[in-house]
Amino acid sequence: MRKLALALATVALLAGCGYSDTKVPGAVKPEAAPPASSTPCTDTGNPTRSYAPLAGGVPSPDDLPARSTMAKIQQRGHLVAGVSADSYLLGSRNPFTGVIEGFDIDMVNQVAAAIFGTAKGHVQLRVISAADRIPLLQSGDIDIVARNMTINCARWDQIAFSAEYFHSGQKILVQKGSGITEAAGLSDKRVCAPAGTTSLDNIQKLAPDAIAVTAGNHTGCLLKFQNGETDAITGDDTVLAGLVAQDPYAEVVTGQALTDEPYGIGVNQDQVDFVRFINAVLERMRSDGSWQASYARWLKPSLQTDATQPTPVYGR
Amino acid sequence: MSQTQAAPAAVTAAPAATQPGVPATVKRTPQTEDTPRLLNRWQLVAVLACLLFAALTAGLQVLSWHANRAAADNTEQLVRVQNIQSTLFRADALATTAFLTGGLEPAEQRAAYDDAIETITRQITDAAEAQPADREALADLSAAVTDYNATIAQARANNRQGFPVGAEYLRTASTGLRDTSVEGSAIPIAQALVAANAERAEDELGAQHPFLILLPGLVALALLWWVNRQLARRFRRRINLGIAAAAVAVAALTLVGTVVAVVQAGNNSDLRDGDYSTSFHESTARTAANDAKANESLRLISRGSGQVYEDRWDTAAGVVEDNASRQTRPLWDDYATVHQQVVKLDDGGQYDAAVQLATTTGDEGSTARLDAFDARSQEIISTSGAATADALRSGNTGILVLAIVTLLLGISAAGLAVWGIGLRRREYA
Repeated sequence: MRKLALALATVALLAGCGYSDTKVPGAVKPEAAPPASSTPCTDTGNPTRSYAPLAGGVPSPDDLPARSTMAKIQQRGHLVAGVSADSYLLGSRNPFTGVIEGFDIDMVNQVAAAIFGTAKGHVQLRVISAADRIPLLQSGDIDIVARNMTINCARWDQIAFSAEYFHSGQKILVQKGSGITEAAGLSDKRVCAPAGTTSLDNIQKLAPDAIAVTAGNHTGCLLKFQNGETDAITGDDTVLAGLVAQDPYAEVVTGQALTDEPYGIGVNQDQVDFVRFINAVLERMRSDGSWQASYARWLKPSLQTDATQPTPVYGR
Repeated sequence: MSQTQAAPAAVTAAPAATQPGVPATVKRTPQTEDTPRLLNRWQLVAVLACLLFAALTAGLQVLSWHANRAAADNTEQLVRVQNIQSTLFRADALATTAFLTGGLEPAEQRAAYDDAIETITRQITDAAEAQPADREALADLSAAVTDYNATIAQARANNRQGFPVGAEYLRTASTGLRDTSVEGSAIPIAQALVAANAERAEDELGAQHPFLILLPGLVALALLWWVNRQLARRFRRRINLGIAAAAVAVAALTLVGTVVAVVQAGNNSDLRDGDYSTSFHESTARTAANDAKANESLRLISRGSGQVYEDRWDTAAGVVEDNASRQTRPLWDDYATVHQQVVKLDDGGQYDAAVQLATTTGDEGSTARLDAFDARSQEIISTSGAATADALRSGNTGILVLAIVTLLLGISAAGLAVWGIGLRRREYA
């Protein structure tokens, strides 16, 4: 009888038993992104010097040099430009219209208008990340990059640049009333910059105890800033101006910029004719006032200073 | 039992011979053999055989009844968690598509998104009530859905002011939903819930064991046969009526029990390959289809750099093609055709036309086609899921009744065995 009782107890136990808890999956850490490259560079000359513009200025769209890069683009029907869609005021998608617009986009439209007569219907914007800029130019997937790209010696080894079209510099964005007035005040504070950039290195030279926080891009840093995950954001003043315009509780620390960031339009290294063409377009923008008009429309309200188009340096 | 105890303690060949009329029934036994004690022992064997048979067989039948009930519950829970997963992707597809439209979110899309979130919230509560083992995971899922919804709300608020940080909130919400690099993302939790419940449902569907049901019966029959043989050898009667009746009862119950178990196992196997499979695969297809639509929008939002999302679309499309039913596959193909047109337009530089085709609510657009697939798919999941649970529940009471009958008849068989051996004991006395 004891056996029977045991068997019945087993049956009852088996019938009544529950399931083990559903396990919540743990985090699967992806491989870390490689650090920003700091390729040594041998060119000791001024990195902003570019190729001299086409003699005779911008040719008419009907008169583009045969077999030139511009002629090929014209034949294709559209200019493919790598841009940002989340750098407010430089290149960002207008949520009301869905159109990508900004200071950098005006540069693209000027180049397209010079090739086709009008930019309308002849521009294909490709939203790219900072890391995609050089590989996509090298592979020929895109014709130009107008995405707050700094001209420097190391990049000249990989691609070509137009003359400088805007002079920016690295600054810091903090919360209003934070009391931070200079980079050194960031000790023990969390500072955000996009992963794979050198901006954080510059901050850590001045404030070694600053805590680095990374995001996919500067707008991602703003999201972290708004959610209390970072105390400051560092980046080019143009980019920070765009962030401040989206958040009334943020301000950019005034004063001297930490670095010089000369912006240029990136082009494939082999397309020197196209660089000369773009430089001619930039010269035309200076003389017809369209650069000033773009600056006044996009950047001046936030940067709150007058600016002029940088003086080009040629001789490459 | 008092009769047994009253029997002489030791029996030898000599006293047996001195009792007239009895010797014919008593076999020649060794001098030390104690027949009443042997009878007691055989009776114990026969009774235990019958009772153990009754208990084990009825126990197995109760387990089988319970397994069917659990399979039905687990199937319903699986349909629930798969619906949560699909609806999460649907909410994301609605949010990303609305964002792509530009300007203010269309009221009906906003309402559909709110409905989706409400459905998810309600189903999480229902699911937590239905399966205690899922509660912890569902609590985490609930927190993840709250986070997602809050981030989408931030995206919407910023979008209404024309700030691009709105797009970043949307991307963060959308990526965060699927992110496997942090613990507590909604989709990995939903996937774990689906996997756990599918395993539970399939384990229970496969918990019918005809051979196991056969085993106690065979062992009991063997023991009864042995007892009968011992009796026959000592009392020169080939068949003991009580033992034989007990054996017939055991054999009949074993046969019925095995046949029922075989039929049930067959039915469950058919169900697993039929309605259960349809429901599971259609749900998998529906989840992947909504994931694909969200990725179509994210591709267009990424504007020319959406290859990563197009790759995800391809993966999701493969899942849909492998899992969609005959009824929904043509609807998916309709959608996929429009998606290819969207890709062609986008790749060909006609971005605005691509966005128009992806966001229009007209029948020619990809949104309406996906909605048609989603609606039909939901119908199929609901019908086949309910059919699975109904099939498992209907007729299941019969198994419980059979278990009770087995227990009662098994006990009766033990009684018959006692009666049968009692006859011999009286003869001996």
